[in-house]
Amino acid sequence: MTSTDEDLVARSRGGDVESFNELILRWERPIYALAYRVIGREEDARDVCQETFLRAFRALPGFKGQAKFSSWLYRIALNLCRDWVRRRRRAPLVEVPEGVDPLDLAADREPTESIEDLVSRRELSDAVAEAMAVLPEEQRTAIILKEYHGMTFQEISDLQGCPLSTVKTRLYQGLTVLRRQLEKNGLGSALGRGKNAPVSHEEAKRV
Amino acid sequence: MSTTFRCGDHAALVGYLYDECERAERDAIAAHLAVCAACAAEMSALDSTRIQLASWSPPEAELGFVITRSETRLASPLSIPRLAWVAQPLPAWAQMAAAAAIFAVGLALGIAGPSVLTQRADSVARDVPGGDQEGRAAGVTVATLDALEERLRTEIAGLRASPSAPSAAPASAPATSDGLLLARVRALIDESERRQQRELALRTAQVLRDFDSQRRVDLEQIQRSFGQFEGLTGAEVREQRQMLNYLMRVSQQR
Repeated sequence: MTSTDEDLVARSRGGDVESFNELILRWERPIYALAYRVIGREEDARDVCQETFLRAFRALPGFKGQAKFSSWLYRIALNLCRDWVRRRRRAPLVEVPEGVDPLDLAADREPTESIEDLVSRRELSDAVAEAMAVLPEEQRTAIILKEYHGMTFQEISDLQGCPLSTVKTRLYQGLTVLRRQLEKNGLGSALGRGKNAPVSHEEAKRV
Repeated sequence: MSTTFRCGDHAALVGYLYDECERAERDAIAAHLAVCAACAAEMSALDSTRIQLASWSPPEAELGFVITRSETRLASPLSIPRLAWVAQPLPAWAQMAAAAAIFAVGLALGIAGPSVLTQRADSVARDVPGGDQEGRAAGVTVATLDALEERLRTEIAGLRASPSAPSAAPASAPATSDGLLLARVRALIDESERRQQRELALRTAQVLRDFDSQRRVDLEQIQRSFGQFEGLTGAEVREQRQMLNYLMRVSQQR
């Protein structure tokens, strides 16, 4: 039977290091993904991920289970990301693509996927990353937590320490800016400007 | 919660988009979207953006962090003084910083060491029972000195017999310790140099790899450009050939 996070936390608090390692194994990928999407650099995301677990381990005696372990972990990771972003404010937030070699990419592609498809998929991914980098930190984090970590409005509200209505506003504004950015890069039409050509509310009113 | 929806209620729209609203509110928004083209368009656009966001995935990374416990006898199970991350090398900057710190400490010890040891030798000499007082005494006899020498020899022999004793032999200790210290400092410097060389080699390899990747990309682009150019040239030749054929046909007809 698979142990729950709570069981593993309890055993870790009792001195069982292996139980904590099990928690790391369970959560390191999501935490790394979160850190990467927030700060945009692979190497630094790994450092943040490592530091998150180290801090969590040290702070474990003080963790009384008042929140979910994962939420507590996310909070630590987000605080570290925020510190990182503040330290590196002058540096570009997202550096994409990072060491991308089209030939290596081609070797990794699926048999059914043409080079063109692969490149366009990669381009879309890079375009999303660049568009995300334009967003203010709060909006970006809200969207990351919602879109890639499936959190509820309430969970995001708890993590960001703001009212529910603010979370919704951040999501709406963030998505709107992303849509514009993607359109600017010529990627908004792929899905949006088809038969049902979505237009902004203001545009629609003018029609 | 509301059973009516007005255009511009972005919070409600987001709730609907992520399916996080009450049933009544959802029904109200759905009814509104059916009649309001602008809101329907906006909802569709937000949905499309969400689909595009799904394409963004972080690169695969080697993780596998593990906490190991270096000491087992602990008062509190989690108050572990030292943690080691295995299967995960320290970042380069940390290695450099550690090497620099070790080198600095070694250097400081190397500079301060002899004086410290000298002080210790002095204090050992002063601590020799009765030695100082007897040396300063005015009427020192040969017999007294002989007795003192004999006592000192006995003590030194005793100390040599037990080399692990904390108070080392006063005469030989500084030279031996200096030698050891120098050897340690040299070892530290060598180690630091080796690390720096390794780091340099890594960086060089990285630069070479980047350069090679860039070269391959450039070559690929050049090749594509040539391909396009050849395609264009071929098309022009075809056109000219067609034109010549046409002219030939026309001239033959005449």
